[in-house]
Amino acid sequence: MKRKAGMLADHCSGLPRWIQRVAISVAFIGNVAVAHAAEPIKIGLLEDETGILAQGGTPKIHGARLAVEEINAAGGVLGRKLDLIVYDAQSDNRRYQELARRLISNDKVDVLMGGLTSASRVALQPIAERAKVLYFYNNEYEGGVCDKNVVITGSSPDQYQAVVPWMIKNVGKKVYTIAADYNFGQTLGLWVKKLVKESGGTLVGEEYIPLSVSQFSQTISNIEAAKPDWVFTAMVGSNQVSYFQQASAAGLNLPMASPINGTLLYEHKQLPPPVMANMYLGVNYMEELKTPENAEFVKRWHAKFPKEPYINQPAVDSYIGVKLYAKAVEAAGTPEREAVINAIETKDICVDSPEGKLCFDKPTHHVSHPIHIMKVEKDHSVTTVADLGVMPPVWLHEKGCDLAKNPQSTQFTPN
Amino acid sequence: MDIASLVLQFGSTAAFLLLSAVGLAVIFGMMGVVNLAHGELIMLGAYGTCLSYSHGLPLAAAMICGVGLATLAGMILEATIIRRLYGRPAESLVVTWAVGLIVSQGTLIILGPSLPSIPTPFGSFVLGTKSFSAYRIVLIAASVLSLLAVHFLLKRTRFGLHARATMQNPEIARAIGIDNAKIYRWTFALGSALAGVTGALYAPTMSIVPTMGGSFIVQAFVTVVTGGGNLLYGTLPAASGLGFIQTALTAAFGNLLGVLGLLAAVIVSAGVLPNGLAYYLSGKRVS
Amino acid sequence: MKSILHLLEGDQTLGRGPRFWCTALVVLVGALVFGGLASSFAVDTASYFLVWVFMALGLALMWGLSGTLSFGQTAFFGLGGYCYAIVATNFGPDNGLTLVALLLSVFLVAVIAAIVGLFMFFGGARGVFVSIITLAISLSLETFLSQTAGPQWKLGSALIGGFNGITSMPPITIPWFGSDYEVTGRAFYYAIVAVLVLTYLALRIVGNSRFGDAMVAVRENPRRAEALGYNVKAVLLAAFVLGSSLAGVSGVAFTTWGLYVSPDTMGLAAAAMPIVWTAVSGKDLTATFIGTILLLALSQTLAIYGSQYAYVALGVVLIASVLTCPEGIVEKAMRLSLSQSGPGNKVRTTSRARWRNA
Repeated sequence: MKRKAGMLADHCSGLPRWIQRVAISVAFIGNVAVAHAAEPIKIGLLEDETGILAQGGTPKIHGARLAVEEINAAGGVLGRKLDLIVYDAQSDNRRYQELARRLISNDKVDVLMGGLTSASRVALQPIAERAKVLYFYNNEYEGGVCDKNVVITGSSPDQYQAVVPWMIKNVGKKVYTIAADYNFGQTLGLWVKKLVKESGGTLVGEEYIPLSVSQFSQTISNIEAAKPDWVFTAMVGSNQVSYFQQASAAGLNLPMASPINGTLLYEHKQLPPPVMANMYLGVNYMEELKTPENAEFVKRWHAKFPKEPYINQPAVDSYIGVKLYAKAVEAAGTPEREAVINAIETKDICVDSPEGKLCFDKPTHHVSHPIHIMKVEKDHSVTTVADLGVMPPVWLHEKGCDLAKNPQSTQFTPN
Repeated sequence: MDIASLVLQFGSTAAFLLLSAVGLAVIFGMMGVVNLAHGELIMLGAYGTCLSYSHGLPLAAAMICGVGLATLAGMILEATIIRRLYGRPAESLVVTWAVGLIVSQGTLIILGPSLPSIPTPFGSFVLGTKSFSAYRIVLIAASVLSLLAVHFLLKRTRFGLHARATMQNPEIARAIGIDNAKIYRWTFALGSALAGVTGALYAPTMSIVPTMGGSFIVQAFVTVVTGGGNLLYGTLPAASGLGFIQTALTAAFGNLLGVLGLLAAVIVSAGVLPNGLAYYLSGKRVS
Repeated sequence: MKSILHLLEGDQTLGRGPRFWCTALVVLVGALVFGGLASSFAVDTASYFLVWVFMALGLALMWGLSGTLSFGQTAFFGLGGYCYAIVATNFGPDNGLTLVALLLSVFLVAVIAAIVGLFMFFGGARGVFVSIITLAISLSLETFLSQTAGPQWKLGSALIGGFNGITSMPPITIPWFGSDYEVTGRAFYYAIVAVLVLTYLALRIVGNSRFGDAMVAVRENPRRAEALGYNVKAVLLAAFVLGSSLAGVSGVAFTTWGLYVSPDTMGLAAAAMPIVWTAVSGKDLTATFIGTILLLALSQTLAIYGSQYAYVALGVVLIASVLTCPEGIVEKAMRLSLSQSGPGNKVRTTSRARWRNA
C-alpha cells in the first residue's frame, strides 16, 4: 500500500499538491475496495452428518457444496467467492445452538443456513435474530412460518398437501392418517382433515405414533378394521419407517400418499420391493423427476459424490438455498442483511434448478415450487402421474403474511 | 375388538420385550455388568444378517452369520475391556456406553447411513377379517424358545451349573476348581449371541441403520430390571406383564398411552416391588 | 476465617489447606478477568459449559456421597427449564418477574423431586431400581412433551410447543430505574460464576457436615446406619432432593442462556451424560466441577474439528480414562497433586451387594 502511494507520488510530483492528495486518497480507497472485494462471502452451514438424522442430513451438506462450487466456478457473487463453513450438528439441538454461535461470533458468517427438524430451526431462529444474521431453513416442514429474519426454501403443506385432494379424486374418498406424534406429524394430520373435508372425502381414522415406536401390529390391525381407500402417512425417522415393511408383510396392500415417505429417507431405495408399491408422493423434487435440467443435475451430482445412495428432497432444497441466496446478494449489491431481505421482498429473484425455474415468493420469504405427484411402482421405480404446476404458498397469503408491509415472527397453524 | 387379533398383538409385544431383554438378562442379571452396548450387539446381529443376505446367502444362513458376528464382537469386547469391569457397575456403564458410541459411529463411517432391508419371509395369513404377517408367529415362537433354551442351558447342563455357582459365589466356585475367567467369558459370549439372535430375527422387519440399537435398549433394560435376576421367574413375567399393559392400552387408547403406560408400569413395579419380580415369584430363590 | 475453612474441608471432599484455597482463588480471579477481556464468543461458550456444572455437582453429591445413581437429572433439568419458560413467557420481563420465574422453577423441581423421592425411597427402592425409575421418568417426560404440539397445549399464554420446544422467552431481566437490565452475554457469565461459586462452597459445607457423614454412612452400609439410629430413607430423600434441585438450576440456566428449551434434553443419550461426566472425572465435587467443563470442551472441540470421527474419538477417550483411572481421571490427578491420602470418597462397593447398590 505504502509502496503504491510512493510510486504514485513520484508520478504526480509535478502536479499541484491538492491533486496529489486526491490521487493518493483514490488509490488508497481503490486498494481497500479491491482488498474487500477479494474477501469471500461466508455461508455458515449446520447439518447432521452423524447421529440419528445422518441419513437425511448428509446429502444436504453435499447439495450446498455443489452449489458453492458451481457459483464460484462461474465467477462468484459480486466478484467475490463464496466460502462455505460447515459444522456437524450431530443430530443434537444443543450442538445447533453452540455451533451457530461459533459461526456467527467466531467465523463471522454473512448468513446462517441449516437444520433438518423444525426443532433445530426453532433453536436457531432466536440466535440468528439476536445477532442480526439472516437465517435460511432449507427443508420441507410443517408450514406457517412468517418471519422477517427467516427464509424457507423447502416446501410447505399448502404446496405438497395437494396430493390429498388429488388422491381423493383419483383413488378414493376414505382416508386413514398415520403420522408421527410431534409437531410435523400432527400439523400434517390437521391439513389432511381440512383438505379431506374440502374435497368431499371422509376421514375414517387417524393415529399419532410416538417417535420411539418401531413395532406396528396394532396400527396395522386398526387400519384393516377401518377399511380406508388409502392411507396418508407421515412416518418420520428410521424407527417409524419400519411400518412399511411390517404392513406389507401383513398383507396390507392399500395405496398410500405422503409428502415425506420416499423423499427424506428414500424408503423406496432402502426397503425391498414391493413394500412401497402404490405410494403417491407430493413433492417439489425427487431424483426420479423427469425434467431436462434434472437429468444433467443428477449426472453432475453423482460425479461429484459417487457414494451418495440417493439425492433426497432436502439435498436439493439446500442446493437451491445457496443459489437463491447468491442471487439475492447480487440483486441487493451487498451481503448486508437488510439489503438482502429487501431484495427478496421487492425484486424478482429466480434461479435455474433441477426443478426448473424457481423464484422467491416475495411477501412470505418462501419459494414457489412446481409440485408433482409421483408414484412408486411395484418394482420401486418412480413415475410422474401429475404435474400440478408452480404453487406459491397461498395459505400464508390468506393468513396475511406480508413481511414487507408487516414484519413479524410467527408460525401459523391450521385450525 | 376381536380376541385373536388382541392375542396376536400381545404375543408380538411381549416377544419384542423378551427378545430385547434375554441377552441383557444373562449379562446384567447374572454378571452385574451394565452393558449399554447391548443395543449395538443387536445391531451387529442385524447388520451381519443383512450383509450376508445381500451377498446371496439364504435367510437362515444369513441369520447364523449375524449371530456369529454379534458373538464375535461380544467376545472381543469381553476379552479387551469387560473383564476389567466385573463387580464395578458404574464404570461398566460408562465404558459400555462409550463402546456403543464407537460401534454405531464406526458402522456409520464404514458402511454408510443405511443398508437395504431384507424382505419379510413367509407372507401373510388371514384370521377372520384381518390379515397378519406369518413372520410374527415365528418371532413369538422364537422368543419363547430362546428363553427356554437358555433356561435349560443354565439349569440342566454342567456349564450352567458352573455359571450359576460362579455368579453366586466366585471365591468358593474357584475353590472347587471352576475357572472363573472362563465362565465369565462364555457367559458374556452367550449374552452377545442372544443379542445377535434378536438382531437377526428382527432384521427382516425393520430399517437397517447404525443407530437401530436404540429401538431395543430401553425395552431391554426396563424388562430386565423389572424382572430381576432370574430368567424364568423374572424376565418372562416382566415381559408378559409389561407387554400386556402396553398391548391393552395401545388397543384401547392408542400408541402414546401404550408407551407412557409401559413406562408408568415400570415406575410403579420398581417402586412397589423393589427387588424385581423374580424375588417375589420364585419364593426368594435367586438365580 | 479458620472456622469457615474448617467447614469447607473434610473427608468428603478433596482439597484442603492454604495451597489449595490459594489456587482456587487464583482460578476464580482468572475466570473473572476472562469474563472481561475475552471475546464475547469465548465468554458465551464458557457460560454454556458452566451451565451444566450445577447438574453434575448435584449428581456428584447424590451418587458420590449417598450412593444414589439417578438417571433423572435430565428430567429435572427439563422440568426446571420448561417451568421457567412457561412462567417467564406468561409474566413477562418487567418488574423483575423473571427472577420470580427462576425461583419458582427451582422450588417446583424440588417439590417434584421430593414426591418422586418419597415414592422411591419410602417404597424401598434402592440401587439399580432407583436408576430405572428415574430413567423411566425422563423418558416419559420426553415422550409426553414431544406430542404437546397443537395450539390447545398451552399454560396461560405460553404454548408448550411439543417437539419444537419453547423459544423467545425473556431472559433474566433485572428491574432498574429507567430501563430494565437483561442478563445476557458477559453479565450472564458473571452471574453464573457467582451462583456457581456459592453453590460449590455450599455443597462442600454440606458434604463435610454431619449430614454429609450420614450420607456416607448410608451409602457404605445402610443396615448399620439404620442400626446406629440414622433415618436412612430421610437421608436418601434429602440428598435426592438437593441433587435434583441442582439439575433444575442447570435447566433454568440453560434456558436463559439459549432462550430455548425442548424435550430432547430429556432423552436417553442426554440422561447418560451427567453420569459419564461424573464417572470419568471422579465423584468428588471439585473433580466433577473441573472434569465436566473439560469434557464439554473436549466434545465440542471434537464436534468442530473431528467431523465424523468425533464420536469415535470421544468414545476412545472415555474408555481409556475409565480403564486407567477408575476413580476418575481428574480425581486421580487431584490426589496426586495434593498428595492427600485418607478416606476421601470411597467409590467401590462390595460385589455381593449387587442388587442393592448401584
